[in-house]
Amino acid sequence: MRYLARRFAFYVVTAWAALTLNFLIPRLMPGDPVQALLSRFRGRLDPRATEALTAMFGLNDESMWSQYRTYLVDLTKGDFGLSFTFFPTPVSTVILDSLLWTIVLVGVSTVVSFAVGTLLGIVAGWRRGTRWDHLLPITTFFSSIPYFWFGLIVLFVLSGELRLFPLAGGYSSWLSVDFSWPFLSSAFKHAVLPGLTIVVASVAGWLIPMRNMMVTTMSDDYVVLAEAKGLSPRRVMLNYAARNAILPSVATFTMSLGFVVGGAVLTEIVFSYPGIGNTLYQAVINEDFPLMQGIFLIITFVVLLANFLADLVYVWLDPRTRVEA
Amino acid sequence: MAVQAVAGATPEPAARPEAVAARRSWFAGLRSAKTITGLAILGVFVVAGAFGPMVWRTDPSALSDDVLQPPSGAHWFGTTQTGQDIFAQVLVGTRVSLLVGVTAAVMATVLSLIVGLTAGYVGGLTDELLSALANVFLVIPALPLVVVLAGYLPTRGSLTVAVVISLTGWSWGARILRAQTLSIRRRDFIEAARATGERPARILLFEILPNEMAIVASSFLFTIVFAILTQAGLAFLGLSDVTTWSWGGILYWAQNNQALQSGAWWWFVPPGLCIALIGTALAFVNFGIDEYVNPRLRVRGFHPRKSRRVRRTAPKQVVQDAGAAGDVLLEVTGLRVDYGDGPNAVHAVDGVDLVLRRGEVLGVAGESGSGKSTLAYAITRLLRPPGQVVAGEIRYWPTSAGPVDVLKMSDAELRAFRWAQLAIVFQSAMNSLNPVLRLREQLGDALIDHGPGMTPGQRQKRIAEVMTMVGLPTDRADAYPHELSGGMRQRALIAMALVLEPDILVLDEPTTALDVVVQRQILTKIMNLREQLGFAVVFITHDLSLLIEVADRIAVMYAGRIIETSTAKQLYEAPRHPYSDGLLHSFPLLHGPRRVLTGIPGAPPDLRLRSAGCAFQPRCTQAMAACTTTIPLLSATNLPTEAPDHQVACLLYQDGEGR
Ligand code: SF4
Repeated sequence: MRYLARRFAFYVVTAWAALTLNFLIPRLMPGDPVQALLSRFRGRLDPRATEALTAMFGLNDESMWSQYRTYLVDLTKGDFGLSFTFFPTPVSTVILDSLLWTIVLVGVSTVVSFAVGTLLGIVAGWRRGTRWDHLLPITTFFSSIPYFWFGLIVLFVLSGELRLFPLAGGYSSWLSVDFSWPFLSSAFKHAVLPGLTIVVASVAGWLIPMRNMMVTTMSDDYVVLAEAKGLSPRRVMLNYAARNAILPSVATFTMSLGFVVGGAVLTEIVFSYPGIGNTLYQAVINEDFPLMQGIFLIITFVVLLANFLADLVYVWLDPRTRVEA
Repeated sequence: MAVQAVAGATPEPAARPEAVAARRSWFAGLRSAKTITGLAILGVFVVAGAFGPMVWRTDPSALSDDVLQPPSGAHWFGTTQTGQDIFAQVLVGTRVSLLVGVTAAVMATVLSLIVGLTAGYVGGLTDELLSALANVFLVIPALPLVVVLAGYLPTRGSLTVAVVISLTGWSWGARILRAQTLSIRRRDFIEAARATGERPARILLFEILPNEMAIVASSFLFTIVFAILTQAGLAFLGLSDVTTWSWGGILYWAQNNQALQSGAWWWFVPPGLCIALIGTALAFVNFGIDEYVNPRLRVRGFHPRKSRRVRRTAPKQVVQDAGAAGDVLLEVTGLRVDYGDGPNAVHAVDGVDLVLRRGEVLGVAGESGSGKSTLAYAITRLLRPPGQVVAGEIRYWPTSAGPVDVLKMSDAELRAFRWAQLAIVFQSAMNSLNPVLRLREQLGDALIDHGPGMTPGQRQKRIAEVMTMVGLPTDRADAYPHELSGGMRQRALIAMALVLEPDILVLDEPTTALDVVVQRQILTKIMNLREQLGFAVVFITHDLSLLIEVADRIAVMYAGRIIETSTAKQLYEAPRHPYSDGLLHSFPLLHGPRRVLTGIPGAPPDLRLRSAGCAFQPRCTQAMAACTTTIPLLSATNLPTEAPDHQVACLLYQDGEGR
């Protein structure tokens, strides 16, 4: 499991890099943004918030190094500071309230999009030169559409005009959040359109590379040999070509996921979904910097975790990574 | 230089005719419908962004009384809630968005070039650190990072936004450029440049960079799309200066004024469509680049279920030739294989006749590019476009019934015929085994798909049987290919080929990758198995002297034709064709006295240039005047003592032309 150990170490380093970046950004920005921020907020904020802000951005004359230490220690306690918008709620609480919504919505949409895109990519690669080739330009177009623009149009047409789906939110506001049937079905109904938006906009990101890998793999000797063996086309397509062609897709999951997350953030805003993207929007319009930074960190951590899961899948799919060195 | 990059990126040896045909059409990729559409759309946007605002002189910010007007002659895209002209906004937006996109992409590409080239070229610790840096940036989700960065910015003008975007968008390019640099650095011409002490900067700029242009271009275009989309997202969030008209800025105002809800679709739709169109256009251009970098993507119109068949009206059962003896197993007549169509087609196999009898070893010898491997692919019907059989018959005689033309079999018939009657062992054992399946599965799946109701137990028994037969320990059945040595892999392939007890075994250079001792062992094994099981072998190799030892009969190929055929013994004792003669002297015999290696001067023929005379003439030491004008045909020689089955295609042995 050396492979996984190496990957894990890499994620730890990345997490640390993200933490440090998060620490440095407000301190290294040109024009002393923190000072400007404080003066902008003076009078608007609770004095305790100003104090918290002062501490957070290290304006209390501590050395950079001791600020950094305090910052790391606070983070290990899950202390991301206090949110301005929802003062005096801690950032961590605000994030926790919305995190699950996002994880479920984006998680499910990503899995669906990956499955659909990969399957279509397999078939499109296998049936190259047939009508399946038309999938490429169509999905390319959809993948170039900004998520939020597509979401707004879908929202306008399907919810606004046709009234098929709810207009906003994650569930009907009169319901209490629990695992009852009315709540779950309402949550599902609210999730369909944002989920659809994410799937439609991201599916090409899996489809096109998968199709190209299929085409490349199909000229590999082992696929030609499988054909020479007179195996059923299904077996050649799935066990030989697709089984190998999918590996790069899983290996580059990282990059594709980054795009999906970015798009999903904007999608949530459009649908006023109670997830973390929408919270980020609230933070942005209220200039709630502790919340913004906390969200950045949390999204990064969740993405790292998802990547590690992808690595596990990769190890499971490719025996060559299991070599004990 | 650019073409070199392609050759380097492909695993196919350059000498293969299919590679030649594919290379010739590299720019066909750039001319494909998609690429042209992409370039055209791109052109329209560039022109609109550059000159549009000068021609359409309406001030995008000017207010007017035409409030929320739908598209009309005066306002092509209608107006906003304050009567601003949306078309003017979109034109300026095109300029702004493209500028942001290109600026960010230029900066990101420069960054990724610096990091990628340095990491790949310098290697060592520098490489480790830079790669880690790139990977870290790749994993951190870009949009939230950009949002945080932009949040702190004192000014949020277009240039600042472009800088921020480039800071998050360089890592992917850096990663692939590093990989590419690493692989180019190991090539001969770079090693040579380094050895002569050329300055690293020079090598990077003039030797390595030109070879990476396709990848740089591709990642550049990709980054433009990323930047335009990110900028639109930022503007939509209100995080960039929304008083400059960018596409995202227009959307910001449209959304904040409830454009869709008030029915003003013309306000909301055009900017989004522009983004989608430019993204599609750039992706289309990238498809062209992909096809340029990866030639396998270039070939069109292929999927294995509908492999091409020679269209002919003749009945499936070929009338048995009166002269055909009962022991003929496979008979190839007049086989021609072309790569490509029309006047540019390369004749890789040009009218080949062969007979394989039951239980015999037929050797086919030739250099790479002689068409011998293409012949093997044609016989097994594994040719892929642009390769296609254009003429000929391949008749297979089953023991009981009359002959069947392999080329006319339906897909189902072909599947049933394959492996059960004819199995093949490819050159490279490593590449022929599926890397992610256990040996057991790869040995057993043919049994499942061909097997008439074998129980799992019987299958396992058969797998163990064939493994023992080829000398593989049966406990290796659960190994993956990468866990086996080269020799074991080759044995596994042979075991695989024997699993259904075929009549014919085609060996395509089966041992070239192995060292001489293992090579020897495996050949002996195959020959012993042949005696035991009685299958016939078509042995394809460049090593004529090896064939002399193991084959019953030999056909020597040159430039797509058989130029000499005879029994192994006659060929060894009296090779007639100057080429066979040369070949026999270019390889040492595995056993027996070492000969002086003379080799054959000159390069293998370029199949694209069809000569009017003997294809071997440019390299032939005995060429005569007639050799440039007359194509010699394969026929019995005019030597009175020659055996009648010794045939040669050389004018030296034909009446009227001989000396
Ligand atoms: S035909 Fe002429 S050129 Fe060709 S091999 Fe014979 S002698 Fe040489």
